[in-house]
Amino acid sequence: MSLLDIQDLSIHFITENGAVKAVNGISLHVDEGRTLGLVGETGAGKTTTALGILRLVPEPGKILSGSITYKGEDILTMSEKEVQDLRGNEISMIFQDPMTALNPVMTVGDQIAEVITRHQHCSSVECQQRMLEILDKVGISSDRAKDYPHQFSGGMKQRIVIAIALACNPKLLLADEPTTALDVTIQAQVLRMINDLKKELGTAMLLITHDLGIVAESCDDVAIMYAGNIVEYGSVEAVFDHTAHPYTVGLFGSLPRLDVDVEFLSPIPGLMPDPINLPSGCPFHPRCKLATRECMEAMPEAQELAPDHIVRCHHARQASDPGTVLGDPAIRRPPLWTQH
Amino acid sequence: MDMDVKEKIPPAEEELVEKIPKKRSYFGEIWHRLRKNPVAMVCLVFLAVLILAVVFANFIAPYDYAEADLSLRFALPSAEHIMGCDEQGRDLFSRLLYGGRYSLMVALIAVAIGIVVGMVVGALCGFFGGGLDSVLMRVMDVIMAIPGLMLAICVSVALGSGVFNTALAIAVGTIPIIARQLRGSTLLIRSQEYIEAAQSFGEGYFRIIMRHVIPNTLAPIIVQASLYLGGSIMAIAGLSFLGLGVQPPTPEWGNILNTGLDYIYQFSTRWHVIVFPAMFIILTMLAFNLLGDGLRDAMDPRMRK
Amino acid sequence: MEHLLEAKELSKYYTTPNGPLHAVEQVSFTVDEKTTLGVVGESGCGKSTLGRVLVGLLDATGGDFFFEGENVTHPDKKKRKELRRKMQIIFQDPYSSLDPRMCVSDLIAEPLKALKLARGATLEKKVQELMDTVGLARRFAYSYPHELDGGRRQRIGIARALSVDPKFIVCDEPVSALDVSIQAQVLNLLKELQIEKGLTYVFITHNLSVVKHISHDILVMYCGCMVEKCPSKELFAQPLHPYTKGLLAAIPIPSLHVKKPDIVLSGEVTSPVNPKPGCRFAARCPYVSDLCKQEMPKPQELAPGHFVACHRAKEINSL
Repeated sequence: MSLLDIQDLSIHFITENGAVKAVNGISLHVDEGRTLGLVGETGAGKTTTALGILRLVPEPGKILSGSITYKGEDILTMSEKEVQDLRGNEISMIFQDPMTALNPVMTVGDQIAEVITRHQHCSSVECQQRMLEILDKVGISSDRAKDYPHQFSGGMKQRIVIAIALACNPKLLLADEPTTALDVTIQAQVLRMINDLKKELGTAMLLITHDLGIVAESCDDVAIMYAGNIVEYGSVEAVFDHTAHPYTVGLFGSLPRLDVDVEFLSPIPGLMPDPINLPSGCPFHPRCKLATRECMEAMPEAQELAPDHIVRCHHARQASDPGTVLGDPAIRRPPLWTQH
Repeated sequence: MDMDVKEKIPPAEEELVEKIPKKRSYFGEIWHRLRKNPVAMVCLVFLAVLILAVVFANFIAPYDYAEADLSLRFALPSAEHIMGCDEQGRDLFSRLLYGGRYSLMVALIAVAIGIVVGMVVGALCGFFGGGLDSVLMRVMDVIMAIPGLMLAICVSVALGSGVFNTALAIAVGTIPIIARQLRGSTLLIRSQEYIEAAQSFGEGYFRIIMRHVIPNTLAPIIVQASLYLGGSIMAIAGLSFLGLGVQPPTPEWGNILNTGLDYIYQFSTRWHVIVFPAMFIILTMLAFNLLGDGLRDAMDPRMRK
Repeated sequence: MEHLLEAKELSKYYTTPNGPLHAVEQVSFTVDEKTTLGVVGESGCGKSTLGRVLVGLLDATGGDFFFEGENVTHPDKKKRKELRRKMQIIFQDPYSSLDPRMCVSDLIAEPLKALKLARGATLEKKVQELMDTVGLARRFAYSYPHELDGGRRQRIGIARALSVDPKFIVCDEPVSALDVSIQAQVLNLLKELQIEKGLTYVFITHNLSVVKHISHDILVMYCGCMVEKCPSKELFAQPLHPYTKGLLAAIPIPSLHVKKPDIVLSGEVTSPVNPKPGCRFAARCPYVSDLCKQEMPKPQELAPGHFVACHRAKEINSL
């Protein structure tokens, strides 16, 4: 059984101008100790999904249907108290912006200890000890526990945010673009740290990102989201090497890359659809090269192309033909610097 | 399945026949948006009628403002005197119409001076900063430290009476408040990249302040200004009471209301000497305020649907 | 051949209460006509400051800067005005770089009006042409920026920069705020424009993949200093400076078949306020020696066109 199993989840924001359809019937699961990458562009519904798991969708958002099963229990039918006991303890979240995720008038030590005190029934001495342990784990020396957030740099702050998230040894970590606000060299440090800690503690992770590179490096499985739908879902190997959905193909084609040389990129034409007026049928059809009348009329069913590889597209097999996919693996030449 | 068999979907929106909307001027655009706001339009009509009535008071007013008939002291509203008479038996309606001339004119001029000077000072301080900012803002602080009425009295005494001088006396107090507010918003706008962009195509400081800084700071100031109008009307009354504004028997909204307020303990029989002047002042303030609100929204393209 | 652009030991310092901030320190480079120089570095490395110095939005503290063979470090008013027509800048944030109270056509016309280059019907025609050039549908002419998405807004910024027919454009992170699929559209547009109009770019970004895609030469900056400058292909094939190596290794590659060198730079960027003598990278460098802590390395040409500012570059790379 999966640690977290989401079935047919829909979340809409009810506004004056109509319902903003942020998440439309997605299903995914995170197994113990695994990392699932949730990839999509701005407005694809990634963050809303993560907030939905913690039942923290802000007003006027409504979870319309579906189930979120954590360890066999449906989070959506739990009492508020039970959900509060889960948050930060069993399931915790890392937010994108480390600058605003910390309380500026509390020392970082106190902020970490606060979570431990809330969830673990232990004495204050034990709490302090646990706090110092976790600080050490994220690579911050224990004598800085009495410092305030502004005394740390961006990368250090994100380490503290991660320390807070890991303070209670959660089983599941929801990381919402944890490194987007950081510089690449710091991002590399933080990603490596998250991966090491994850292995050490056996935590499962839902990693939200827009960077396919991070997915390739840190994830076991990946779900590609577009306009509130999961359009392609499977193991990283399946999705990266046998890309089947035209949107995923387009995403890869849009990326300028270090390992492939092209004169012009092949971007996806057009724009993300307005989540209030989603196109009929497959929401990607107005931008899709393979679109036909069928795509306009009917939302494609999720089909299993291979074990561990699910695609929502009427023309999935055609899109995954070699030639339609970005280049041939044979012409991707590894950069010379990998020979070091 | 073969791809050729399938129909292709028509191309996306970009390639459809283009409909180019008509261009409107800056003020045309504002007017267009303001017209869609019923509350603001009602206020605009009300203010237009009021101002016309006040300007043409000598044609509209049924009596002279100084014409007293002691037998009619505190006469309640009737067919001859629609708003009744005051403590000297003068027609209240006529007095309010004539009084509006002075009150509205002085208040409008005062607010205009306050806004223009305040805006110039605020924009200069915020935009250039440095020594100019320090000196001008300290001057503003000094002005702000003196209570408004005291300041108005001093200026009034120094300059003497008269419409413009009284307006100036009242405006001095509002200048620092507006300057402070504008300095704040200018600092914010100054850090926006579009100011840098404007510099990169060689726009001069004057042009940048006029075209980019002031239009983007105007909206909150306009609402504020509509509030100051009411305050100014009352401040004029204060000056008049001290003999620095207009002299009796010349009417003016503030002093009409002030006199009326002396009879508040006989409100049940003499309510009209309080209610009508107060109504004029409140409705005028309210109308300016709501119109200001509407203007702020109309001036912001982001409110466009 | 004459270079279009040449910077000689260009520096820009800011005064702060804690001492001078060395935002750009003695950076030298040349840019040939119709090519792109990519300037890469992490936040706070001075790359944006450098771009602003080049287009005259900031005054250089030291060094010289030549444009078309003429020294334009501190031009007089007339010269500056002339330069405004030849050099333009595209800003990073398509939200804050457009005046929210101006409609699209006014925004694009702005430089033409400010420099008094066109008016009336000519101006209108020119604006429409520009909108066509950057692929903005004409029906948006009287829309306001907030009604458009990031990609279209950035197209306005590009059209505005192109309006005066410049020769040289500084692109300051023009695609960083955009989603990948839109980013690719804008990058392609910039490339097409370069070929079509013979533009010269200085392309500032923190994204190495983007800079590799668009640049002919690349300048890597660290903490205000230039650490490496060379042709784009060479930088990725054979980075010589330890920082560049670490930077390249830090970039996640969206492929499962690329093995990257296992370098993770420790530590963080040091503050450029009152910097210590010596190499700015010394504190994080795995190859640091005593000399590095005492003396700032000068750029040396280790291969034709390949400049590296590192005392130990030769040893490390066994050249």
